[in-house]
Amino acid sequence: MNASGRATSAPPAAAVRIVSFSFHGDAGAALRDIRLSVQPGSLTAVLGGSGSGKTTLGKVLAGWLRAGHSGILRGSLALGADVLEFDGASGDPRIDPAAWSGRVGYVPQDAGAMLSSVRSTVAEELAFGLENRAVPRLEMLRRVSRTAELTGLSGLMERDPAELSGGELRRLAVACAVIAEPEVLILDEPLASLDAAGGRQLRTLVDGLLAAGTAVVLLSQAVDALARRAGHWLVLDGGTATAEGSPAELAGGPHLRDAGIVGAGLAAAPPQALPAAPAAAAAPVLELRGIGFGYGPAGVLRGLDLTVRPGEIVAVTGPNGSGKSTLLRHFNGLLRPDAGEVRVQGRSIDGIPAGRIAASVGLLFQQPRDQLFERTVLREVGFGLPRLVGAGAAAGRAHEALAAVGLSDAAGEHPAELPSSRQRLLALATVLARRPAVLALDEPTVGLDRHGLEHLADAVAAAAARGAGVVMVTHDLDYARASAHRVLALDGGTLRETWRRGSA
Amino acid sequence: MRLHPLTALTAAGCAAVTTTAAGSWPLSLAVALAAVLLAVRAGVGRRVLASAAVILAPLCLSLLVLHGLFFPEGHTVLAQWGPARVTTEGLGFALELASRTAASVLVLLLFSFTVSVPDLLTALAARRIPPQFSFVLASTLTLVPAMAGRLEKIRQAQEARGLVVRRGLLPRLVAARLQAVPLVLGLLEDAGVRAQALDARGFGAAGPRTSYRQLQDPPRQQIFRAVALLLTAAAVVARLVTAWPAAVLA
Repeated sequence: MNASGRATSAPPAAAVRIVSFSFHGDAGAALRDIRLSVQPGSLTAVLGGSGSGKTTLGKVLAGWLRAGHSGILRGSLALGADVLEFDGASGDPRIDPAAWSGRVGYVPQDAGAMLSSVRSTVAEELAFGLENRAVPRLEMLRRVSRTAELTGLSGLMERDPAELSGGELRRLAVACAVIAEPEVLILDEPLASLDAAGGRQLRTLVDGLLAAGTAVVLLSQAVDALARRAGHWLVLDGGTATAEGSPAELAGGPHLRDAGIVGAGLAAAPPQALPAAPAAAAAPVLELRGIGFGYGPAGVLRGLDLTVRPGEIVAVTGPNGSGKSTLLRHFNGLLRPDAGEVRVQGRSIDGIPAGRIAASVGLLFQQPRDQLFERTVLREVGFGLPRLVGAGAAAGRAHEALAAVGLSDAAGEHPAELPSSRQRLLALATVLARRPAVLALDEPTVGLDRHGLEHLADAVAAAAARGAGVVMVTHDLDYARASAHRVLALDGGTLRETWRRGSA
Repeated sequence: MRLHPLTALTAAGCAAVTTTAAGSWPLSLAVALAAVLLAVRAGVGRRVLASAAVILAPLCLSLLVLHGLFFPEGHTVLAQWGPARVTTEGLGFALELASRTAASVLVLLLFSFTVSVPDLLTALAARRIPPQFSFVLASTLTLVPAMAGRLEKIRQAQEARGLVVRRGLLPRLVAARLQAVPLVLGLLEDAGVRAQALDARGFGAAGPRTSYRQLQDPPRQQIFRAVALLLTAAAVVARLVTAWPAAVLA
């Protein structure tokens, strides 16, 4: 309890008490024994590793997962003075999602999922929620323009929402929740895959909301720049609260580490595990010479050169939209250069189908969901393996790759039902199982908790140790320096070395 | 001048109904040709023709087999293999039906590829059509591009893991089979998440709605719609009156 008289007398903006919440058809409870209360104008961080129940908690509080409709809730939800009690019985109150979401906004981790998909401009997408609530048109115009200003979208109003960059899309999703003027706003991993500029804009936006009296709840598996500003932390592990208190009380404590939370002095990738850089004399596994690609006079890639030797780990950094993913797609022929040449293990890949280059180059996509298409985790990792290594060895390879990323226990699950961090690890396992000579990893750290980052660091080090060349694209400079031999910046369509291990 | 989406819908619908009612193959061919010309002018000729081919090719083939070879009322026999007889009347009937269907399919495809979906939704909302209906309609109109985008992603993911898609029909069909299951599962999964998000944005709320987008509906187009609907109704009535006694006598 807060000691100040004002805080105890004023009702919290929202309070949730969960005795248990279980999804229909599941025997065990997804959440149990959690209490959270947030004051107007306060920032609260709910921290937890992959599968800790953060997202489920956020969705229950926001009415995205409704008691009775999506699962069985025992406990209570309170908004201001309104309190709803749930016993998991048929007589429980029913939440009207339209009315509830006007008071509690939720922005999912996948910002694109927030969009209506039937509006053609940013301005109309913003107005969608107001149209449904029959806000008069003049009032709607006023609120659309004010929200756009608050979220830095004013210059993008006529753009097609489907063509926004990751950072712009995140701000639009936040804006779509904010425009309903909710008392509580829940942000699920808002900084994931945002570059430095996008992160700054989001922090400014949160500051503005806090100043306006909105209670903001951050769901995160990292003690990042936003979480550090929170006044109160709640730590979740295995669906239940294991600790809570001020950042000063919890930082560096055992609860954060055990829960798999990243950051705040919790080093993830042990740099000592990094194999020594290879000799410059070794024949390169991957060579790009004078690559040009892109539409218009500027182009995305212009005269780009890159040489990767066996056992070498190279990190590529650059802002959102600088062409990092485009570059990786040239390695395995998913994209073909307009100019220049790509050589893998000394051979030009020109004219070789992408499916054949895949034997030598493994690509981890930026969105793991784009990479997963099978019915079970095991089938996913096993796809294409029999043809590559023979039916006899395929099963062993698949299980080995799952073990390497810590997913052995999930072999029978459906990939779509895994939390997004485990989806990324599964996508990584599909690449590892093929033991390619070149590993191309697109933002491999995004959304991973501490355990996941350790699996990633081990897998990358092991691949390098057996002689694979690794190229990873990341916006996380600290991670790049901790885990790579060289860091290159993609800037103006070419690569420039910004850091080299041992010469710093 | 910009066509109001309901004007375009009325024009397409009336053309399809009138062509069907008239049942004259020269008219059907003329309408089909006009639709193709308009599609080319609007820059969607290739897409309209490709989609029409997918829909019409199997249909025309079955019409030809069914009526071209087995038309009981046929007298003028051109060729005969056992029970199968190619008759002039049968071929004529098949051509008649095929051209009529082609005309309807082409005008409706022309409409669906040229209409501005947001404009159509605004127009429907203004006429108090339930938004759920409009959403299904809009999703249907945007389904093909959405599916194409997703198929491309699945194919890339599979290629990145060793799937080699060779040239030729059979390898492509095998590859398509590999992509169909993830495509459908992915669309279903999307639908689940989308439903939660739409709920959260008040989409399921009962009661009146407002519209941010505004649409011009010039009086001339309103008159055109009324006249087109009246003429079409007249064409249908005329068709029923002239066809019925004959059909009853037969």
